[in-house]
Amino acid sequence: MNVVDPIIKIEHVNTFFGSFQALSDVSLSVHPGEKVVVIGPSGSGKSTLLRTINRLEKISSGSIVVDGHALNDPSQNINKIREEVGMVFQSFNLFRHMTVLENLTLAPVKLRKQQKSQAEKYAMELLAKVGVADKAASYPVQLSGGQQQRVAIARALAMNPAIMLFDEPTSALDPEMIGEVLDVMVTLAREGMTMVVVTHEMGFAREVADKVVFMDGGRILEVAPPDTFFDHPVHERTRAFLKQIL
Amino acid sequence: MSEKKVIIDVGDGAAIPRPEDKGLLSAWWLSFVGTLAVLAYLLIFHPDPYLRLLKFLPDGIVVTFQVTIASICLALILGLLAGLGRISRNRIVNLVASTYVEIIRGIPLLVQLFYIYFALGRIVRVPDMVAAIIALGFCYGAYMGEVFRAGIMSIDNGQTEASLSLGFNRSQTMRYVILPQAWRTILPPVGNEFIALLKDTSLVSIIAVSDILRRGREFASESFLYFETYTLIAIIYLLITLILSKFLSNVEQRLSHYERR
Ligand SMILES: Nc1ncnc2c1ncn2[C@@H]1O[C@H](COP(=O)(O)OP(=O)(O)O)[C@@H](O)[C@H]1O
Ligand SMILES: [Mg+2]
Repeated sequence: MNVVDPIIKIEHVNTFFGSFQALSDVSLSVHPGEKVVVIGPSGSGKSTLLRTINRLEKISSGSIVVDGHALNDPSQNINKIREEVGMVFQSFNLFRHMTVLENLTLAPVKLRKQQKSQAEKYAMELLAKVGVADKAASYPVQLSGGQQQRVAIARALAMNPAIMLFDEPTSALDPEMIGEVLDVMVTLAREGMTMVVVTHEMGFAREVADKVVFMDGGRILEVAPPDTFFDHPVHERTRAFLKQIL
Repeated sequence: MSEKKVIIDVGDGAAIPRPEDKGLLSAWWLSFVGTLAVLAYLLIFHPDPYLRLLKFLPDGIVVTFQVTIASICLALILGLLAGLGRISRNRIVNLVASTYVEIIRGIPLLVQLFYIYFALGRIVRVPDMVAAIIALGFCYGAYMGEVFRAGIMSIDNGQTEASLSLGFNRSQTMRYVILPQAWRTILPPVGNEFIALLKDTSLVSIIAVSDILRRGREFASESFLYFETYTLIAIIYLLITLILSKFLSNVEQRLSHYERR
């Protein structure tokens, strides 16, 4: 079937918070360059799934292999794996005490031991790419939500990750700023980045996704290419959900 | 949550005036000018004994500052360790730090001072001043630990997650991301602790350290001018703490640059 191995391989994962099961027998493979969009009602475990991929959340059983590294293997250096997996949060989480430029250069300089000048040069290229080069010397509080989120994407890209995870990147934004962030994500997708995106933006899912994953109650109920998914959903719960949001 | 400015209110020490707190700021001016006026009046119209007394005290002022600064340095180091220990996921580290804080907070400073002074005296002979600094440092370290802990916890967890997701480990995250931000929240209560500590150094006069108060007592016991001596000592403490609180309020202002739009 597939010649290349999946870059993310999630198998039979269960995750508990105390006695509450947030993920139930979740399996999912993502191949290099693939774009996966995860949708589902609030509380269905989308964030938890995303966060297990860079072990911000630990799994209780099952296995996750990222780029050949088993996440539950204690001999693996999780920090090294995280360098390969960029993450973008709903609430941006830019470092508030640093300028935009410093936000981008911190990790490359401290972790990759890059020269400051070299890191800054690349950071400026990335800022230009996401359209906020003129804000390089500003502090995060001085930026709009849309600008902050674009900087957050650039910050993750500064480490040249193999995979980008997005957890509802536009949900905290005013409607008029959603487009500018989605544009950046579409560009990134066109360039071949492997992406796992939790979003309610169905237009983005249709345009960009290779497959759409529907979650409910901690389970993956349906996985399908966007056309099939939106036009011929199989599961009753999927249909009800789509009817609600479309 | 992340947008809200957290103010840790420790509730002791002199209040550091904030520019937006007009009441406290004008109270500061009133106290400062009033104290200076009283001091000037006493020195001009009653140079004897006040001028004589004032010349007798500078050595004590120097000692008070030496003890304060050395103790605060020790307290900051212990406080950082205690604060980090209190939030550590390592059970043992956490328990040690919490026990330290709990024990120290339960014993009056004066008793600690005596205890460390005499307990140390049984093991090694240390100079009185060193014993005083160790006692004050350990005591204030416990309070400082709570200040550090609260400051660190006031930083939105999203900052930690963003840092971890870039590949930083926990201690790098603390160093590059959390502490530089927590410092803003920590500084005002640390400033308050500093002032409180400066005042509490007056306790060390009991264990034979020649601070302001002890110098004053020496003067008073020879001259029997108790009222005049303690009047001047009160004025000096008040002036020092007023100047310090104003200074700290300015430093705090300057540190807030990245929060301004
Ligand atoms: N740290 C946590 N502790 C306890 N429960 C949690 C925690 N994180 C998430 N949950 C619970 O797990 C479920 C799934 O959460 P989440 O993955 O955030 O859902 P989604 O992102 O789909 O809205 C929710 O019911 C949530 O309350
Ligand atoms: Mg979520």
